[in-house]
Amino acid sequence: MTFWRRLRSWSQATLHRSSLENDMDAELRFHVDAFAEDLVRSGMTRQEAMRRARLEFGGIERAKEECRDARGANLLGALAQDLRYGLRMLGKNPGSAAAVVLALALGIGLNTTVFSFVNALLLRPPTRVAAPDKLLQLWLRNRGTSGIEAYLPLTYPDYVYYRDHNQSFTGMLAFDGDPESVIWNRSGEGQVVEGQLVSGNFFSLLGVKASLGRTFLPEDDQPGNPQPVVVLGHSFWQQRLDSDSQIVGKSLLLNGTSFSVIGVAPVGFAGLLVGIEPDFWAPVTMAVQILHDSGRLTNRQGYWLFAVARLKPGVDALRAGSEMNLLALLIEQEHPDTNKNLGASLFPATLVPGPYRGYVSAFTGLLMAVFGLVLVIACVNAASLLLARATGRAREMAIRSALGAGRGRLIRQMLVESTLLSGLAGCLGLALAYWTAPLLLALKPASLPITLKVPLDWRVLLFTSFVSLLTGIVFGLAPALRSVRVQVAPILKDEAQSASYRKSRLRSSLVIGEIATCMVLLVGAALCVRSLLNANSIDPGFDTRHVAVATLDPGSVGYPEAKVRGFYEQLLRHISALPVVSSASFVNHLPLGTAREQSAVIEGDHSASGQNGLSVDVLRVAPGYFETMGISLLSGRDFIPRESQTPGGASGGVAIINDAMARKLWLDQYPVGRRITLGENTGLEIIGVVKTGKYRTLGEEPIPLVYLPWLAGRRTLVVRTSGDPRFLLDTIRREIQAVDASVAATDLETIEQYMALPLFPARTIGLLLGVSGFLALVLTGIGLFGVISYMVSQRTHEIGVRMALGASQQAVLKLVVGHGLRMASIGLALGLAATFGLTRFLSSFLYGIQPSDPATLLGVSVGLTLIASLACYIPARRAMSVDPMVALRYE
Amino acid sequence: MDKQLDLLQGTLDMLILKAISLGPLHGYGILLRIQQISKDRLEIQQGSLYPALYRLEHQGWIASEWGESENKRKAKYYRLTAAGKRRLQAETENWNSMADVIAGILGTKPEEI
Repeated sequence: MTFWRRLRSWSQATLHRSSLENDMDAELRFHVDAFAEDLVRSGMTRQEAMRRARLEFGGIERAKEECRDARGANLLGALAQDLRYGLRMLGKNPGSAAAVVLALALGIGLNTTVFSFVNALLLRPPTRVAAPDKLLQLWLRNRGTSGIEAYLPLTYPDYVYYRDHNQSFTGMLAFDGDPESVIWNRSGEGQVVEGQLVSGNFFSLLGVKASLGRTFLPEDDQPGNPQPVVVLGHSFWQQRLDSDSQIVGKSLLLNGTSFSVIGVAPVGFAGLLVGIEPDFWAPVTMAVQILHDSGRLTNRQGYWLFAVARLKPGVDALRAGSEMNLLALLIEQEHPDTNKNLGASLFPATLVPGPYRGYVSAFTGLLMAVFGLVLVIACVNAASLLLARATGRAREMAIRSALGAGRGRLIRQMLVESTLLSGLAGCLGLALAYWTAPLLLALKPASLPITLKVPLDWRVLLFTSFVSLLTGIVFGLAPALRSVRVQVAPILKDEAQSASYRKSRLRSSLVIGEIATCMVLLVGAALCVRSLLNANSIDPGFDTRHVAVATLDPGSVGYPEAKVRGFYEQLLRHISALPVVSSASFVNHLPLGTAREQSAVIEGDHSASGQNGLSVDVLRVAPGYFETMGISLLSGRDFIPRESQTPGGASGGVAIINDAMARKLWLDQYPVGRRITLGENTGLEIIGVVKTGKYRTLGEEPIPLVYLPWLAGRRTLVVRTSGDPRFLLDTIRREIQAVDASVAATDLETIEQYMALPLFPARTIGLLLGVSGFLALVLTGIGLFGVISYMVSQRTHEIGVRMALGASQQAVLKLVVGHGLRMASIGLALGLAATFGLTRFLSSFLYGIQPSDPATLLGVSVGLTLIASLACYIPARRAMSVDPMVALRYE
Repeated sequence: MDKQLDLLQGTLDMLILKAISLGPLHGYGILLRIQQISKDRLEIQQGSLYPALYRLEHQGWIASEWGESENKRKAKYYRLTAAGKRRLQAETENWNSMADVIAGILGTKPEEI
């Protein structure tokens, strides 16, 4: 209650200033008059009475001012005054103000950028979706394993069961977690589009209305009678179909099936998965036509559907979760062979699927920490600069306090100035983030089919304002508190010089902290950059320069096997005939990508089931693959075309293995001619051994691998050229068109572009840490320079005396540089200790280098010392040139 | 006349509340009443009276309205609010117990320890 009364009183005082003034005047005049009248009554003359009354009342103006203060009427006015004054002070010293603002803007801007990614990935709910907080994601959880491996999406039969048997949800939808690249036959020419299969209730359950036509109905999604209909994505409709307003009712030829368009999704709607903006949505029961995989809807072991459900009113996530667990047990009883140990877990429906959120937050958390450190350094610099100015302004503060300014008023003045600086920096930082966010997105390899929107929405604005305000208060507080602790009398008597040593101690400790922080950042940056160099120089086991690659899948258009085979044979003939091409071949998928095939190998030709074999990776290649990729054949021979025919019988096949596997199975014995059993293929004869490469990640230990000669419909074409493969890409595209216009390559790129994907994490971290390390170095250098220059200017008198007494220039140099280096070495020692604790978190991003790599630590220490020496040397030169006479006369 | 006492810090508010609790008064009236009750033994800075009044009003313990003085002049009258009554009571109790404690301490004789 009293709070509101005070607010009313304050707002009246502020808004109705003139009536307050009139009231106050009238009231005080009445008092004086009444007092005077009483005095007259006791026998005084009127004139004398008035004089006495005024005298006894004291300062009328002062009383009024105190009255205004009591009502809070002065608050806004004083704030405006502080602001005006602060701006004037900044204008007086524009250079240093600009330096502070710029440094802070970099720190705030980088943090805003990272936060805008955190926001885009983790905080922003799916756009255009009604009441997203009521949506939950359902995942299967394998009780046998732990970590992220334990979570599986749903199979279609599982989805149907959960959808039809739950009591907790108003509905449950499902969508394809890994959108399909589909070939759109656009009047004879194949184009690649991204499609997402969704359940019939997808749009209605999310509350998304079509901007044109209609969305799916449950009837479109009947398993027995699926309708070949699609809803188009808004930007696809806009960009690829020129916003054709007559599109509804027309049809598109997708992977060989004609789909009729029933509607266009609203602008901005991109489904429920981060980074993916499908060009079209089709009913999930059309999986057979889109994927040419007839078992997709009945397979109880193909986990591909992400399920999202909307809670009924009054049901909470906890109750829904226990119901899902109950349903999981029921399915387990019904299908013990496939659903053994498969429980169910619910997560909030966010754009990054629940089980993966931990990874994304760890990654972005690391970035936030790194850029947080840069901001801390910028803050320390700003604080240190303001401290210097506060000392310079001691006289001003003393005068103001002598004139009656309270402690609070002085602190407020200083804080207003510092938040003014940080506020300016925040605006600049926001602009910086606006430019750097797209720049960061450009780091992403082109082959990653991700379209991420990183908007600067209200959450980002709130974050930036908060960080700016906090920054201003943090770096302004120490100088502010210091400035009000001035002793008025000695300063006004011009005895300020003597106190300088104690004052610079705070600044020294700030700089020491700055050097320590900088050390941590630099070591992190140096480690990452060196690891990046290592990763670039890691031999992946194949040529990363002279190869062009293209992924093809003519089977997706609906071609039968013989036609697919014919297409590939013809394509290979065309490509090999090109003059710049030295060889060409196929592989089922490239190493170091996302796809992987694994199997178990047993030595010999018996299919002894139950025996635990050696776990190996499998690649399927056509003849000439090793030559094309530059993989050296250590012994034996390559496949020949005859061996690429699909294996007719159960035995008689051939295989090529890598060196790592040969050593694992037979140590130093000659492997060629021996036989192995790989899964269902018994008695495979080893015809060759090739050099071991990298297959899953660049940092891996040697993995045993078997090459088989049989390929399916989906293949990657590899082409070796003597020249630059970039010039080959268009030719390859044309040749594919020439062979069959309705087939299109999904990933057509050079092997160098392809390698951007496995190198992506190391590159990103390396670049970001490199940038932040560089910034930290520059800021720390400036900070050290500032402190030493200030020290020199404060000790000019002392240095003059020393020189007058015979100190050499060298001694002065030693004095100044020694002071700086002392701070630097303390900072380095602290930084080293912190480094040991912190760089452990980096180890999973590092290739071929230990977090405690001594050369890196030494190098960074030496480099930082050199920078520190330079930062000290320049002011030291000024100290050396001090003229004793001038310095002494100055007093 | 007895020697005048300086006002203890923080007690002016309490005295104002007490003075008004006996009936609405204007500023000058409050001054007179305090002097009258204290039999002129308290010295009050006239200039400090008004900031205190404004502060008390801001805190909601007293309320003011314009009225007419004894000699037909416009004057601002202050009266106690409900919150002010509670405040006065609390402050009085607080003061009394404080005074007891202090008096007890100051009145202690060596043999009592």
